[in-house]
Amino acid sequence: MHLLEVRDLEKRYPTFTLDKVSFSLEPGYIMGFIGRNGAGKTTTMKAMLNLIHRDGGEVFVNGRSFFENERACKGEIGFVMGEFDCYKNATLKAITDVTRRFYPTWDQAAYEDYLRRFALVESKKVKELSAGMRVKYALALALSHDARLLILDEPTSGLDPVSRDDLLDVFRSVIEDGSRSILFSTHIISDLEKCADYITYIKGGKVLSSTDMLTFRESYRLVSGDREHLEVRRPKLIGCKEHAFGFTGLIRAEDEAAFRSCKIAPADLESIMIYTEQEESHETASL
Amino acid sequence: MKQLLYKEYKLCLVSMVPIFYLFALMLLIPNYPYLVAAFFTCNSIFFLFKQSVVNGDLLFTTLLPVAKGDVVRARVRFVVIIQMIMFLLFIPLCYANHLLVPRNPAGTDGSLTFLAAALVLFTIFNGTFLPGFYKNEQKMDKLFLISLIAVFGWIILWEGFMITAGAAERLVPFFAWVETHLDCWPATSEAWTVQLIALAIGALVYVVGNILITRRAVAVFERVDL
Repeated sequence: MHLLEVRDLEKRYPTFTLDKVSFSLEPGYIMGFIGRNGAGKTTTMKAMLNLIHRDGGEVFVNGRSFFENERACKGEIGFVMGEFDCYKNATLKAITDVTRRFYPTWDQAAYEDYLRRFALVESKKVKELSAGMRVKYALALALSHDARLLILDEPTSGLDPVSRDDLLDVFRSVIEDGSRSILFSTHIISDLEKCADYITYIKGGKVLSSTDMLTFRESYRLVSGDREHLEVRRPKLIGCKEHAFGFTGLIRAEDEAAFRSCKIAPADLESIMIYTEQEESHETASL
Repeated sequence: MKQLLYKEYKLCLVSMVPIFYLFALMLLIPNYPYLVAAFFTCNSIFFLFKQSVVNGDLLFTTLLPVAKGDVVRARVRFVVIIQMIMFLLFIPLCYANHLLVPRNPAGTDGSLTFLAAALVLFTIFNGTFLPGFYKNEQKMDKLFLISLIAVFGWIILWEGFMITAGAAERLVPFFAWVETHLDCWPATSEAWTVQLIALAIGALVYVVGNILITRRAVAVFERVDL
Protein backbone atom coordinates (compact mmCIF):
# COMPACT_ATOMS: atom_id res chain seq x y z
CA MET A 1 0.00 0.00 0.00
CA HIS A 2 1.17 3.54 -0.75
CA LEU A 3 2.08 5.65 2.25
CA LEU A 4 1.21 8.73 0.23
CA GLU A 5 -0.93 8.92 -2.86
CA VAL A 6 -1.77 12.20 -4.54
CA ARG A 7 -4.43 11.79 -7.20
CA ASP A 8 -5.41 14.49 -9.75
CA LEU A 9 -4.85 17.37 -7.34
CA GLU A 10 -6.07 20.63 -8.83
CA LYS A 11 -5.89 24.26 -7.79
CA ARG A 12 -6.82 27.08 -10.11
CA TYR A 13 -5.58 30.64 -9.71
CA PRO A 14 -6.16 33.39 -12.29
CA THR A 15 -2.54 33.14 -13.52
CA PHE A 16 -1.53 29.61 -12.48
CA THR A 17 -3.10 26.18 -12.45
CA LEU A 18 -2.04 23.11 -10.57
CA ASP A 19 -3.09 20.61 -13.21
CA LYS A 20 -4.14 17.16 -12.00
CA VAL A 21 -0.96 16.51 -10.04
CA SER A 22 -0.56 12.81 -9.29
CA PHE A 23 2.22 10.80 -7.68
CA SER A 24 2.64 8.18 -5.00
CA LEU A 25 5.25 7.11 -2.47
CA GLU A 26 5.83 3.69 -0.93
CA PRO A 27 7.01 3.26 2.67
CA GLY A 28 10.77 3.25 3.13
CA TYR A 29 11.77 5.78 0.47
CA ILE A 30 12.73 9.39 -0.01
CA MET A 31 11.12 11.30 -2.86
CA GLY A 32 12.61 14.54 -4.13
CA PHE A 33 10.08 17.05 -5.38
CA ILE A 34 11.77 19.32 -7.88
CA GLY A 35 10.87 22.17 -10.18
CA ARG A 36 11.66 25.82 -10.77
CA ASN A 37 10.44 28.64 -8.55
CA GLY A 38 6.72 29.01 -9.21
CA ALA A 39 6.40 25.53 -10.73
CA GLY A 40 3.85 24.54 -8.09
CA LYS A 41 5.85 22.61 -5.47
CA THR A 42 4.70 24.60 -2.44
CA THR A 43 1.18 24.94 -3.85
CA THR A 44 1.03 21.15 -4.23
CA MET A 45 2.25 20.60 -0.68
CA LYS A 46 -0.15 23.17 0.75
CA ALA A 47 -3.09 21.73 -1.21
CA MET A 48 -2.14 18.24 0.02
CA LEU A 49 -2.29 19.49 3.62
CA ASN A 50 -5.54 21.46 3.18
CA LEU A 51 -3.70 24.72 3.82
CA ILE A 52 -5.14 25.95 0.55
CA HIS A 53 -8.54 25.03 -0.77
CA ARG A 54 -8.20 22.53 -3.61
CA ASP A 55 -10.43 22.60 -6.67
CA GLY A 56 -10.24 18.87 -7.20
CA GLY A 57 -8.35 15.69 -6.51
CA GLU A 58 -7.67 13.45 -3.55
CA VAL A 59 -4.81 12.75 -1.18
CA PHE A 60 -4.47 9.43 0.63
CA VAL A 61 -2.16 8.90 3.61
CA ASN A 62 -1.64 5.30 4.52
CA GLY A 63 -4.77 4.39 2.53
CA ARG A 64 -7.02 6.94 4.22
CA SER A 65 -8.45 10.03 2.56
CA PHE A 66 -6.61 13.01 4.04
CA PHE A 67 -9.57 15.35 3.66
CA GLU A 68 -12.00 12.96 5.33
CA ASN A 69 -9.56 12.07 8.15
CA GLU A 70 -7.65 15.33 8.48
CA ARG A 71 -6.83 15.06 12.20
CA ALA A 72 -5.67 11.45 12.10
CA CYS A 73 -3.67 11.92 8.89
CA LYS A 74 -1.95 15.06 10.17
CA GLY A 75 -0.95 13.10 13.28
CA GLU A 76 0.96 10.71 11.04
CA ILE A 77 2.72 13.48 9.14
CA GLY A 78 5.61 15.72 10.12
CA PHE A 79 5.72 19.02 8.24
CA VAL A 80 8.43 21.54 7.70
CA MET A 81 7.54 24.60 5.66
CA GLY A 82 10.93 26.28 5.49
CA GLU A 83 12.33 27.86 8.62
CA PHE A 84 10.25 28.05 11.82
CA ASP A 85 8.93 31.59 11.74
CA CYS A 86 6.16 31.67 14.35
CA TYR A 87 5.95 33.11 17.88
CA LYS A 88 9.28 34.90 17.66
CA ASN A 89 9.11 36.07 21.27
CA ALA A 90 8.36 32.62 22.66
CA THR A 91 11.04 30.22 23.84
CA LEU A 92 11.54 26.87 22.10
CA LYS A 93 10.59 25.23 25.40
CA ALA A 94 7.18 26.94 25.43
CA ILE A 95 6.47 26.07 21.79
CA THR A 96 7.51 22.46 22.27
CA ASP A 97 5.43 22.20 25.43
CA VAL A 98 2.38 23.15 23.35
CA THR A 99 3.25 21.09 20.27
CA ARG A 100 3.96 17.79 22.05
CA ARG A 101 0.47 17.76 23.60
CA PHE A 102 -1.04 17.30 20.14
CA TYR A 103 0.89 14.09 19.47
CA PRO A 104 0.18 10.97 21.57
CA THR A 105 3.28 9.44 19.95
CA TRP A 106 5.59 12.29 21.02
CA ASP A 107 9.06 10.91 21.78
CA GLN A 108 10.70 13.25 24.29
CA ALA A 109 13.98 11.30 24.25
CA ALA A 110 14.18 11.59 20.45
CA TYR A 111 13.38 15.31 20.69
CA GLU A 112 16.14 15.90 23.22
CA ASP A 113 18.48 13.90 21.02
CA TYR A 114 17.71 16.14 18.04
CA LEU A 115 18.21 19.24 20.19
CA ARG A 116 21.70 18.00 21.05
CA ARG A 117 22.43 16.92 17.48
CA PHE A 118 21.32 20.30 16.08
CA ALA A 119 22.91 22.29 18.96
CA LEU A 120 19.59 23.91 19.85
CA VAL A 121 19.08 25.53 23.26
CA GLU A 122 15.50 25.31 24.53
CA SER A 123 15.68 28.45 26.63
CA LYS A 124 16.35 30.57 23.53
CA LYS A 125 13.59 32.54 21.87
CA VAL A 126 12.77 31.97 18.20
CA LYS A 127 13.93 35.49 17.33
CA GLU A 128 17.37 34.67 18.76
CA LEU A 129 17.90 31.81 16.29
CA SER A 130 19.58 32.13 12.92
CA ALA A 131 17.65 31.09 9.80
CA GLY A 132 19.48 27.76 9.74
CA MET A 133 18.76 27.08 13.41
CA ARG A 134 15.06 27.81 12.82
CA VAL A 135 15.00 25.18 10.09
CA LYS A 136 16.66 22.74 12.49
CA TYR A 137 14.10 23.48 15.19
CA ALA A 138 11.24 22.90 12.73
CA LEU A 139 12.88 19.59 11.79
CA ALA A 140 13.34 18.59 15.44
CA LEU A 141 9.60 19.11 16.02
CA ALA A 142 8.66 17.22 12.86
CA LEU A 143 10.96 14.30 13.62
CA SER A 144 10.00 13.83 17.27
CA HIS A 145 6.46 12.50 17.07
CA ASP A 146 7.17 9.30 15.24
CA ALA A 147 5.62 10.57 11.99
CA ARG A 148 5.33 7.95 9.27
CA LEU A 149 5.45 10.55 6.52
CA LEU A 150 7.62 13.64 6.49
CA ILE A 151 6.65 16.43 4.10
CA LEU A 152 9.44 18.95 3.93
CA ASP A 153 9.42 22.12 1.86
CA GLU A 154 12.96 23.40 1.35
CA PRO A 155 14.28 21.81 4.56
CA THR A 156 17.94 22.22 3.67
CA SER A 157 17.88 25.82 2.47
CA GLY A 158 19.71 28.11 4.86
CA LEU A 159 21.83 25.28 6.25
CA ASP A 160 25.59 25.11 5.94
CA PRO A 161 27.05 22.12 3.98
CA VAL A 162 28.00 20.21 7.17
CA SER A 163 24.51 20.60 8.64
CA ARG A 164 22.95 19.63 5.31
CA ASP A 165 25.04 16.49 5.14
CA ASP A 166 24.16 15.66 8.75
CA LEU A 167 20.50 16.18 7.96
CA LEU A 168 20.64 13.87 4.96
CA ASP A 169 22.06 11.21 7.30
CA VAL A 170 19.09 11.84 9.60
CA PHE A 171 16.73 11.39 6.65
CA ARG A 172 18.36 8.06 5.73
CA SER A 173 18.14 6.84 9.32
CA VAL A 174 14.47 7.89 9.54
CA ILE A 175 13.47 5.67 6.60
CA GLU A 176 15.82 2.76 7.24
CA ASP A 177 13.25 0.62 9.10
CA GLY A 178 11.14 0.63 5.92
CA SER A 179 7.98 2.01 7.52
CA ARG A 180 8.51 5.72 6.96
CA SER A 181 8.91 7.95 3.93
CA ILE A 182 10.00 11.48 3.15
CA LEU A 183 8.77 13.84 0.47
CA PHE A 184 10.94 16.88 0.19
CA SER A 185 11.28 19.77 -2.16
CA THR A 186 14.56 21.55 -2.64
CA HIS A 187 16.53 23.67 -5.03
CA ILE A 188 19.73 22.07 -3.83
CA ILE A 189 19.80 19.26 -6.34
CA SER A 190 23.02 17.79 -4.95
CA ASP A 191 21.10 16.91 -1.77
CA LEU A 192 18.68 14.83 -3.81
CA GLU A 193 21.52 13.13 -5.69
CA LYS A 194 22.79 11.96 -2.31
CA CYS A 195 19.60 10.64 -0.79
CA ALA A 196 16.49 10.56 -3.01
CA ASP A 197 15.13 7.22 -4.24
CA TYR A 198 12.35 8.78 -6.31
CA ILE A 199 11.96 12.02 -8.19
CA THR A 200 8.80 13.92 -8.99
CA TYR A 201 9.44 16.74 -11.40
CA ILE A 202 6.82 19.46 -11.71
CA LYS A 203 6.81 22.15 -14.35
CA GLY A 204 4.18 24.85 -14.86
CA GLY A 205 1.80 23.09 -12.48
CA LYS A 206 2.02 19.73 -14.27
CA VAL A 207 3.96 16.65 -13.24
CA LEU A 208 6.45 15.93 -16.03
CA SER A 209 7.79 12.80 -14.44
CA SER A 210 7.41 10.80 -11.25
CA THR A 211 9.61 7.77 -11.13
CA ASP A 212 12.60 6.22 -9.39
CA MET A 213 15.87 8.11 -9.55
CA LEU A 214 17.64 5.60 -11.80
CA THR A 215 14.85 5.45 -14.38
CA PHE A 216 14.59 9.23 -14.30
CA ARG A 217 18.29 9.72 -14.97
CA GLU A 218 18.47 6.89 -17.48
CA SER A 219 15.71 8.58 -19.49
CA TYR A 220 18.11 11.36 -20.50
CA ARG A 221 21.62 11.78 -21.91
CA LEU A 222 23.97 14.72 -22.01
CA VAL A 223 25.51 15.25 -25.43
CA SER A 224 28.23 17.57 -26.63
CA GLY A 225 29.60 18.13 -30.08
CA ASP A 226 30.77 20.55 -32.76
CA ARG A 227 28.62 23.33 -34.08
CA GLU A 228 28.36 21.56 -37.43
CA HIS A 229 26.52 18.70 -35.69
CA LEU A 230 24.07 21.04 -34.06
CA GLU A 231 21.69 22.37 -36.70
CA VAL A 232 20.49 19.03 -38.10
CA ARG A 233 20.07 17.60 -34.65
CA ARG A 234 18.55 20.61 -32.94
CA PRO A 235 14.95 19.30 -33.12
CA LYS A 236 15.97 16.29 -31.02
CA LEU A 237 17.56 18.42 -28.29
CA ILE A 238 15.46 19.14 -25.23
CA GLY A 239 17.70 22.09 -24.46
CA CYS A 240 21.22 23.14 -25.37
CA LYS A 241 23.91 25.67 -24.68
CA GLU A 242 26.19 26.83 -27.46
CA HIS A 243 29.76 27.80 -26.79
CA ALA A 244 32.94 28.58 -28.73
CA PHE A 245 33.74 24.93 -29.37
CA GLY A 246 30.28 23.64 -30.11
CA PHE A 247 27.35 22.79 -27.92
CA THR A 248 26.24 20.79 -24.90
CA GLY A 249 22.67 19.66 -24.62
CA LEU A 250 20.15 17.21 -23.22
CA ILE A 251 18.40 14.50 -25.21
CA ARG A 252 15.97 11.70 -24.46
CA ALA A 253 17.70 8.35 -24.14
CA GLU A 254 15.71 6.93 -27.09
CA ASP A 255 17.24 9.60 -29.35
CA GLU A 256 20.80 8.54 -28.52
CA ALA A 257 21.31 6.90 -31.94
CA ALA A 258 20.97 10.24 -33.70
CA PHE A 259 23.93 11.62 -31.75
CA ARG A 260 26.44 8.81 -32.29
CA SER A 261 29.06 11.21 -33.62
CA CYS A 262 28.83 13.33 -30.46
CA LYS A 263 30.11 12.74 -26.97
CA ILE A 264 27.38 11.14 -24.89
CA ALA A 265 27.38 11.04 -21.10
CA PRO A 266 24.89 10.12 -18.35
CA ALA A 267 22.73 13.04 -17.31
CA ASP A 268 22.76 14.36 -13.76
CA LEU A 269 19.66 15.77 -12.06
CA GLU A 270 20.76 19.37 -12.25
CA SER A 271 21.47 19.19 -15.98
CA ILE A 272 18.13 17.51 -16.64
CA MET A 273 16.36 20.29 -14.80
CA ILE A 274 18.34 23.13 -16.37
CA TYR A 275 17.95 21.89 -19.95
CA THR A 276 14.32 20.92 -19.52
CA GLU A 277 13.46 24.36 -18.24
CA GLN A 278 15.44 25.81 -21.15
CA GLU A 279 13.08 23.98 -23.49
CA GLU A 280 10.27 26.17 -22.29
CA SER A 281 12.42 29.29 -22.67
CA HIS A 282 13.05 28.35 -26.30
CA GLU A 283 9.37 27.69 -26.89
CA THR A 284 8.49 31.03 -25.35
CA ALA A 285 11.16 32.80 -27.38
CA SER A 286 9.97 31.24 -30.64
CA LEU A 287 6.41 32.37 -29.92
CA MET B 1 -9.92 21.12 21.71
CA LYS B 2 -8.31 21.10 25.18
CA GLN B 3 -4.86 21.18 23.58
CA LEU B 4 -5.88 24.03 21.26
CA LEU B 5 -7.17 26.07 24.20
CA TYR B 6 -3.90 25.40 26.03
CA LYS B 7 -2.05 26.68 22.95
CA GLU B 8 -4.22 29.82 22.97
CA TYR B 9 -3.37 30.41 26.62
CA LYS B 10 0.33 29.58 26.40
CA LEU B 11 1.30 31.11 23.04
CA CYS B 12 -1.41 33.59 22.06
CA LEU B 13 -2.65 35.36 25.17
CA VAL B 14 -1.42 38.96 25.23
CA SER B 15 -0.95 41.03 28.37
CA MET B 16 -3.61 43.48 27.16
CA VAL B 17 -6.31 40.92 27.97
CA PRO B 18 -5.78 40.73 31.76
CA ILE B 19 -4.81 44.42 31.95
CA PHE B 20 -8.01 45.47 30.18
CA TYR B 21 -10.08 43.58 32.76
CA LEU B 22 -9.27 46.54 35.03
CA PHE B 23 -11.69 48.55 32.91
CA ALA B 24 -14.48 46.62 34.66
CA LEU B 25 -13.76 48.97 37.58
CA MET B 26 -15.27 51.74 35.46
CA LEU B 27 -18.57 50.59 36.95
CA LEU B 28 -17.49 52.36 40.13
CA ILE B 29 -17.11 55.74 38.39
CA PRO B 30 -20.06 58.04 39.11
CA ASN B 31 -21.96 59.36 36.08
CA TYR B 32 -20.46 57.28 33.30
CA PRO B 33 -21.87 55.26 30.36
CA TYR B 34 -20.87 51.88 31.81
CA LEU B 35 -21.41 49.86 28.65
CA VAL B 36 -18.14 51.37 27.37
CA ALA B 37 -16.36 49.14 29.93
CA ALA B 38 -17.53 46.08 28.00
CA PHE B 39 -15.98 47.46 24.82
CA PHE B 40 -12.49 47.39 26.33
CA THR B 41 -12.58 43.59 26.46
CA CYS B 42 -13.32 43.60 22.72
CA ASN B 43 -10.39 45.95 22.29
CA SER B 44 -8.07 43.52 24.08
CA ILE B 45 -9.40 40.71 21.85
CA PHE B 46 -8.43 42.80 18.82
CA PHE B 47 -4.86 43.00 20.21
CA LEU B 48 -4.93 39.22 20.69
CA PHE B 49 -5.74 38.73 17.00
CA LYS B 50 -3.24 41.38 15.96
CA GLN B 51 -0.46 39.59 17.81
CA SER B 52 -1.58 36.25 16.36
CA VAL B 53 -1.08 37.62 12.85
CA VAL B 54 2.43 38.80 13.77
CA ASN B 55 3.14 35.36 15.28
CA GLY B 56 2.01 33.39 12.24
CA ASP B 57 -0.45 31.62 14.52
CA LEU B 58 -2.93 30.52 11.85
CA LEU B 59 -0.33 28.62 9.82
CA PHE B 60 1.27 27.03 12.90
CA THR B 61 -2.10 25.92 14.27
CA THR B 62 -3.43 24.65 10.96
CA LEU B 63 -0.35 22.44 10.59
CA LEU B 64 -1.06 20.75 13.94
CA PRO B 65 -3.08 17.51 13.86
CA VAL B 66 -6.43 19.28 13.99
CA ALA B 67 -9.18 19.84 11.44
CA LYS B 68 -8.96 23.24 9.78
CA GLY B 69 -12.33 24.21 11.28
CA ASP B 70 -11.10 23.41 14.80
CA VAL B 71 -8.58 26.25 14.50
CA VAL B 72 -11.51 28.67 14.31
CA ARG B 73 -13.67 26.87 16.88
CA ALA B 74 -10.87 26.94 19.46
CA ARG B 75 -10.21 30.65 18.96
CA VAL B 76 -13.90 31.52 19.22
CA ARG B 77 -14.11 29.53 22.47
CA PHE B 78 -11.06 31.36 23.78
CA VAL B 79 -12.71 34.69 22.92
CA VAL B 80 -15.87 33.52 24.71
CA ILE B 81 -13.80 32.60 27.80
CA ILE B 82 -12.20 36.08 27.80
CA GLN B 83 -15.59 37.74 27.48
CA MET B 84 -17.16 35.51 30.14
CA ILE B 85 -14.42 36.42 32.63
CA MET B 86 -15.27 40.09 32.05
CA PHE B 87 -18.96 39.21 32.40
CA LEU B 88 -18.30 37.50 35.75
CA LEU B 89 -16.29 40.51 36.93
CA PHE B 90 -19.22 42.74 36.04
CA ILE B 91 -21.62 40.89 38.40
CA PRO B 92 -20.13 41.96 41.77
CA LEU B 93 -19.22 45.34 40.31
CA CYS B 94 -22.84 45.91 39.27
CA TYR B 95 -23.86 45.31 42.86
CA ALA B 96 -21.05 47.59 44.09
CA ASN B 97 -22.25 50.20 41.60
CA HIS B 98 -25.75 49.94 43.11
CA LEU B 99 -24.29 50.57 46.58
CA LEU B 100 -21.88 53.36 45.60
CA VAL B 101 -23.69 55.06 42.69
CA PRO B 102 -27.39 54.38 43.11
CA ARG B 103 -28.44 56.70 40.26
CA ASN B 104 -26.49 57.22 37.03
CA PRO B 105 -27.80 60.10 34.91
CA ALA B 106 -25.07 59.45 32.28
CA GLY B 107 -26.53 56.13 31.18
CA THR B 108 -27.34 52.68 32.37
CA ASP B 109 -27.09 51.61 36.02
CA GLY B 110 -25.42 48.44 37.31
CA SER B 111 -28.12 45.82 36.80
CA LEU B 112 -28.88 42.45 35.24
CA THR B 113 -30.16 44.43 32.24
CA PHE B 114 -26.73 46.00 31.93
CA LEU B 115 -25.23 42.48 31.89
CA ALA B 116 -27.64 41.54 29.09
CA ALA B 117 -26.63 44.65 27.13
CA ALA B 118 -22.96 43.69 27.60
CA LEU B 119 -23.66 40.23 26.15
CA VAL B 120 -25.33 41.79 23.11
CA LEU B 121 -22.31 44.09 22.73
CA PHE B 122 -19.96 41.07 22.78
CA THR B 123 -22.14 39.36 20.15
CA ILE B 124 -22.07 42.44 17.90
CA PHE B 125 -18.29 42.60 18.15
CA ASN B 126 -17.82 38.90 17.47
CA GLY B 127 -20.25 38.98 14.55
CA THR B 128 -18.63 41.95 12.86
CA PHE B 129 -15.03 40.92 13.50
CA LEU B 130 -14.51 37.16 13.59
CA PRO B 131 -15.85 35.87 10.23
CA GLY B 132 -14.14 38.74 8.40
CA PHE B 133 -10.84 38.01 10.16
CA TYR B 134 -10.91 34.39 8.97
CA LYS B 135 -11.70 35.53 5.43
CA ASN B 136 -8.69 37.83 5.25
CA GLU B 137 -6.56 38.42 8.34
CA GLN B 138 -4.67 41.18 6.55
CA LYS B 139 -7.77 43.38 6.59
CA MET B 140 -8.22 43.16 10.34
CA ASP B 141 -7.66 46.88 10.99
CA LYS B 142 -10.48 47.81 8.63
CA LEU B 143 -12.65 45.13 10.22
CA PHE B 144 -11.97 46.49 13.67
CA LEU B 145 -13.06 49.94 12.51
CA ILE B 146 -16.35 48.44 11.30
CA SER B 147 -16.71 46.63 14.64
CA LEU B 148 -16.02 49.88 16.51
CA ILE B 149 -18.79 51.64 14.59
CA ALA B 150 -21.23 48.78 15.26
CA VAL B 151 -20.32 48.45 18.95
CA PHE B 152 -20.44 52.18 19.63
CA GLY B 153 -23.72 52.35 17.69
CA TRP B 154 -25.11 49.85 20.21
CA ILE B 155 -23.59 51.76 23.16
CA ILE B 156 -25.10 55.05 21.97
CA LEU B 157 -28.47 53.38 21.38
CA TRP B 158 -28.54 51.65 24.78
CA GLU B 159 -27.09 54.42 26.89
CA GLY B 160 -29.16 57.02 25.02
CA PHE B 161 -32.30 55.05 25.82
CA MET B 162 -31.39 54.82 29.50
CA ILE B 163 -30.47 58.53 29.69
CA THR B 164 -33.80 59.38 28.08
CA ALA B 165 -35.64 57.06 30.48
CA GLY B 166 -33.94 58.67 33.48
CA ALA B 167 -34.64 62.20 32.24
CA ALA B 168 -38.27 61.59 31.27
CA GLU B 169 -39.40 59.10 33.92
CA ARG B 170 -41.76 61.63 35.47
CA LEU B 171 -43.31 62.51 32.12
CA VAL B 172 -43.72 59.09 30.49
CA PRO B 173 -45.06 56.16 32.56
CA PHE B 174 -43.15 53.62 30.42
CA PHE B 175 -39.84 55.32 31.24
CA ALA B 176 -40.76 55.30 34.93
CA TRP B 177 -41.32 51.53 34.63
CA VAL B 178 -37.93 51.18 32.89
CA GLU B 179 -36.22 53.06 35.70
CA THR B 180 -37.78 50.97 38.48
CA HIS B 181 -37.72 47.58 36.75
CA LEU B 182 -34.81 47.56 34.27
CA ASP B 183 -32.34 50.36 34.95
CA CYS B 184 -31.49 49.65 38.59
CA TRP B 185 -30.26 46.83 40.79
CA PRO B 186 -33.49 44.79 41.24
CA ALA B 187 -35.19 45.61 44.54
CA THR B 188 -38.53 43.84 44.09
CA SER B 189 -39.43 40.34 42.98
CA GLU B 190 -41.12 41.84 39.91
CA ALA B 191 -37.92 43.71 39.01
CA TRP B 192 -35.90 40.49 39.52
CA THR B 193 -38.25 38.63 37.18
CA VAL B 194 -38.11 41.32 34.49
CA GLN B 195 -34.33 41.61 34.70
CA LEU B 196 -33.78 37.85 34.71
CA ILE B 197 -35.89 37.66 31.54
CA ALA B 198 -33.77 40.46 30.04
CA LEU B 199 -30.60 38.62 31.03
CA ALA B 200 -31.94 35.38 29.55
CA ILE B 201 -32.66 37.20 26.26
CA GLY B 202 -29.12 38.63 26.30
CA ALA B 203 -27.69 35.17 27.00
CA LEU B 204 -29.79 33.67 24.20
CA VAL B 205 -28.55 36.31 21.75
CA TYR B 206 -24.96 35.60 22.84
CA VAL B 207 -25.20 31.80 22.64
CA VAL B 208 -27.17 31.57 19.39
CA GLY B 209 -25.20 34.46 17.91
CA ASN B 210 -21.86 32.84 18.66
CA ILE B 211 -22.98 29.47 17.30
CA LEU B 212 -23.94 31.15 14.00
CA ILE B 213 -20.79 33.30 14.02
CA THR B 214 -18.62 30.20 14.54
CA ARG B 215 -20.36 28.35 11.69
CA ARG B 216 -19.86 31.30 9.37
CA ALA B 217 -16.21 31.78 10.37
CA VAL B 218 -15.47 28.05 9.92
CA ALA B 219 -17.13 28.00 6.48
CA VAL B 220 -15.14 31.06 5.42
CA PHE B 221 -11.83 29.70 6.77
CA GLU B 222 -12.29 26.33 5.03
CA ARG B 223 -12.04 28.16 1.69
CA VAL B 224 -9.13 30.38 2.62
CA ASP B 225 -5.69 29.79 1.12
CA LEU B 226 -2.96 30.11 3.74
